Amino acid sequence: MSPYQARAATGAALILGSLAFAAVPALAHHGWGSYDSTTLTTLEGTVRSVSFSNPHASAQLEAQGKVWTIVLAPPSRMSSRGLPDGTLKSGQTVSLDGYIHKSDLVELRAERIRVDGKSVELR
Amino acid sequence: MEHSAGAGPAWALALEHSALGETLRQAMWLYPIANVLHVLAVVAMIGSILAFDLRLMGAAKALPVAGLARLLLPISAIGFVVAVITGSLLFIADATAVWNNPVFVYKLALIALGLVNIAVFHFGVWRSAEGWAVGTSAPLSAKAGAAVSIASWVATATLGRLIAYF
Repeated sequence: MSPYQARAATGAALILGSLAFAAVPALAHHGWGSYDSTTLTTLEGTVRSVSFSNPHASAQLEAQGKVWTIVLAPPSRMSSRGLPDGTLKSGQTVSLDGYIHKSDLVELRAERIRVDGKSVELR
Repeated sequence: MEHSAGAGPAWALALEHSALGETLRQAMWLYPIANVLHVLAVVAMIGSILAFDLRLMGAAKALPVAGLARLLLPISAIGFVVAVITGSLLFIADATAVWNNPVFVYKLALIALGLVNIAVFHFGVWRSAEGWAVGTSAPLSAKAGAAVSIASWVATATLGRLIAYF
């Protein structure tokens, strides 16, 4: 190894090492593996707000005396499955099946949602 | 994501709430298009890097290194630029969540390692490349650089994909 290469390699090792020890916040939201898929939970409640946005739509749902964050599907899929922007509205009563986040116990990844008498698969 | 709004460094919040961030989230197809282009760019980049590095490590010694470099290295460079642009768009749309993702920082570190390795290779052993053009083995330091290159870029792409699962 030339002195230049040795210097560069040392630099790379230092960068990697310091990054590896940097504090990584434990806010591991939204990862597909972060939901407890062993238990399917059904919620019925009132929609409080809807965010029809990428990478996936989400909604706040009041159910069982709590306000839940519901992770829905990407807007393109919502639209093609019959729930375009504006069809899911606050004030609506909906029910849905999904998996609860392992560490954030009021976040649920919805597998399907029933709204206005129709059931929409989100996966 | 409404419930995570406010969780994250100020610069990430500013990016996420910028007009561009807003547009990326609201437009139906902008985000998926950026996502698809990001994957294609990574495929072009890593595919060409893999082919070139395998040549340096001793595969297909009949092929001229300089000729391969002329074909493959621009593909990897353009792939890298497109991946950085589209990756930035994907990041801006969801900046706080991605920044808080435990995998992302390691992906950035691996990109840094890959780039340092490229610099070391090009300013170092690559300058003697005429000597190992056809039929001969590249020097050991070139082989080592090729191995680090394959490892760092494959790991970068792997962690990139794993962001969605942590």
